[in-house]
This record gives sequence, C-alpha cells and structure tokens, in this order.
Amino acid sequence: MRVFFVAAALAIGLWQVSTFAQTATGRGTTTKAPAASAVPRGSDGKPDLTGVWQGGSTQRGNWEETNGGVGVGGSGRNPSAPVVLSSNDRPAGREGAPYQPWAAQKVLEAFNRRGIDDPTSLCLPAGLPRTVMLGLFPQQIIQTPKQIVILYEYMNVFRVIPMNAKHPDDLIPSYMGNSVGHWEGDTLVVDVVGFNDKTWLAGTGTFHSDELHVAERYTRVDKDQINYEVTMEDPKVLTKPWVLRSTIMLREGTRLEEYICAENNIDPERYENLLKDGIKFIRQ
Amino acid sequence: MARRIIEACLLVVVLWCLATPGLAHHSFGAEYDANQPMTLTGVLTKIEWTNPHSHFYLDVKDNKGNVVNWKFEGYGPGVLYRLGWKKDVTMKPGDTVTVFGWRARDGGNWAHSREITLSGGTKMFFGPPSGTGDGGNSPAVEVR
Repeated sequence: MRVFFVAAALAIGLWQVSTFAQTATGRGTTTKAPAASAVPRGSDGKPDLTGVWQGGSTQRGNWEETNGGVGVGGSGRNPSAPVVLSSNDRPAGREGAPYQPWAAQKVLEAFNRRGIDDPTSLCLPAGLPRTVMLGLFPQQIIQTPKQIVILYEYMNVFRVIPMNAKHPDDLIPSYMGNSVGHWEGDTLVVDVVGFNDKTWLAGTGTFHSDELHVAERYTRVDKDQINYEVTMEDPKVLTKPWVLRSTIMLREGTRLEEYICAENNIDPERYENLLKDGIKFIRQ
Repeated sequence: MARRIIEACLLVVVLWCLATPGLAHHSFGAEYDANQPMTLTGVLTKIEWTNPHSHFYLDVKDNKGNVVNWKFEGYGPGVLYRLGWKKDVTMKPGDTVTVFGWRARDGGNWAHSREITLSGGTKMFFGPPSGTGDGGNSPAVEVR
C-alpha cells in the first residue's frame, strides 16, 4: 500500500510539473525542465524543430522506452481499470468545450453513439488539432528558414507551412487547412484557415464549421519537449475561443511508416450491421 | 527496498499512462464489450498485417473438443512494429499462443486482442486497452 502512495505522490508531482509547463506555454514565460539539454537552433538562430515527435505524451526518451513497457494507454491487464484517454476522450479536469447549446447537444449525441460517426472511421484525415495531439503515431517536422513541413504517419497527411506568408485568397476547403507561420521570439506561431467541416477537433463529436480558425503555438522548451498551445475559433458553433495545451516529445531513432487506412477498413460495415441487428451499444 | 522503488516506478508509469492520450482508429465500445473479457489459447492459423487494423486467427478447442476459428483485431503494422513485433518472426502460423481481449458485442467468434502470450512465454501487446476510441467516461461538452 505504501508503494502505491509513493507512486501516486510521484505521479501527481509529475502531473503538476507537466501542467505548469503546459500552462506556461504561450504566456511569455520560460519553462526550465530539470537536467534537460539545450534547444537546438538553426542557422537563423531560431529553435530548430526538425525531428520525429510524439504528440499526447509527456515522457522523455525514445519510442521504446516511453511506449514499449505498458503500451500506449496503460497495462490493459485489468479490464475494470479506468478507461484510458484517447484523442477522442475529454481529458480529466479539462473544462468542457465551449459549444453553443444546439451544438453541444450534437456533440453529446455523437458521444452517446460511442463515436461511430468519427470521420476517421471512414479513413478520412483527422484534421486539426487532433492530428497533432494524438499519441499512437509519430509526426516528423522538417524545418527550413523559409518553410516548415510536417509529415504525420496517421492517415499519411502532411502540412506545408510557408514562413512570413499570407494565406492565399483562393482557398479550397480542406481537411488539414492552409497554414502560414511566423516566429514570435522562440515560439513558432502557425495560423490555419481554409478548413472543410468534416473533421473533429479534439474529442468525440467535436465538430466544427468551415469557418474554423486554428492558431497554434509551438515552443520548444528544451531538446526533448515542445509545448503546444492551440486556440480554436468558430463563430458558427462555439461561444468563445477554445484553448487546449499539450506537449509533443522528441522520439529520436523513430521512423515514420506508411499508413494506408483504406487497405482493410471493415469498421463502417460492422457499425451498419450492429445498428441493423439491434445490438445495444449506444449510451442511454 | 530496491524492489519497492521499482514497483513504485512501475506504478508511476501506469498512472502516468492513464493520462496519456492515444488514438484508436475507431470505436472499441461500439464493436466490443468491455464487460466480456476473455482469455483463449489456440493455434495460430493466419496473420493479416493490414491498416487500419491487423488481424490474426486462432484455432481454439471448445468444451466439446470442437475446433473453432477465432478472429482477433489489433493495431496496424506501424504501431505493432514500434511495439517490437517482427513480421513472420515474432508469431508464426502453427504457434500456440494465449490471447487476452474482449469479445465482440455481436457474440461471434471475434474479439479485440490486447495481450498475447507467445509460445515461448513472452507477453506482448497486439491491441489497445478496452474503451479506446469510444469517447471515454464523459463527453467533450458539459452535460446540463
């Protein structure tokens, strides 16, 4: 029992450190992680974000060290243990998303349907910021002074982010949006518009309209960690900007793999059969 | 003392992971029943290394001695690779393995796999925990 309390105390301590680090993001404060090495910089003196990274994690180390032991999401040996958070889940302690009442009802309906309407179950791109914050698949950042490219293994999508540029005036609706970047001190700020209305933001049913505007802030606080802050605005469905913070951790030695989701996607058909056969899975 | 420190560290990792977002391609809760955990031992007949999910098949003897072929779902190839799986090496047709997972809601011979005990005794994860991807314990919006 004592072991459990020691572990719990350590875990809470780590959580608080992490929460502080995340809260500090984008507010002009500097977070110093213990025993962390310096931020690599490019020839222009800006932080160099080049590397393979894992979103949705707070742990330092390579992929095997940080994911191999218990696997993504916990031990799984105890089916009665609390449900592990996925990118579809609402993290504990986080405020509810600021949806307009009619829109909140729609989000709730999707939750009660256990996420079977998730666009990714049709192998469509996960959109932003979901693609950035998910933890099961790595993302690779390739940075040059004039443009930054981010490759995501999940759904094999990419973003090209020109620096100090304006959005084109002939945008077409897209899943990942049109991104432009600039530096504010050591923080990379990325502005994204030009979305379609076919993705979920962060959590089951968190839909949006084509007026979605996403503003991201990437602050590499040391060699291993980027603090990520994202602000979502959508006057059609939200009552105010929705702000989320998480961390993106360096995974040296990891390579991106192919992910061709349409190869063997049998889930939509299974959902149809569940509904047709009257199998009870919907939350009441 | 050293053992207690190790145990404490392991618990930290477990508690930590409970707060770590992952991602499933689809809803566990719709297709599988977290209230039906099951452990089956059988002979591997086939593995499909496919996205978005891999599958493998086991010949399992039921109580009457009849052999039934079960289908198990798990992570796609990229995730399996990062968990240490090697195609055609880690697990091969003909191997006797034990699988822990959760049964499909439709009652078929189909389950969501979590942990596999290989023929040599090594335990490895093949799929995510129960509940992944179905929305968690509470919706993203406040319920009033």
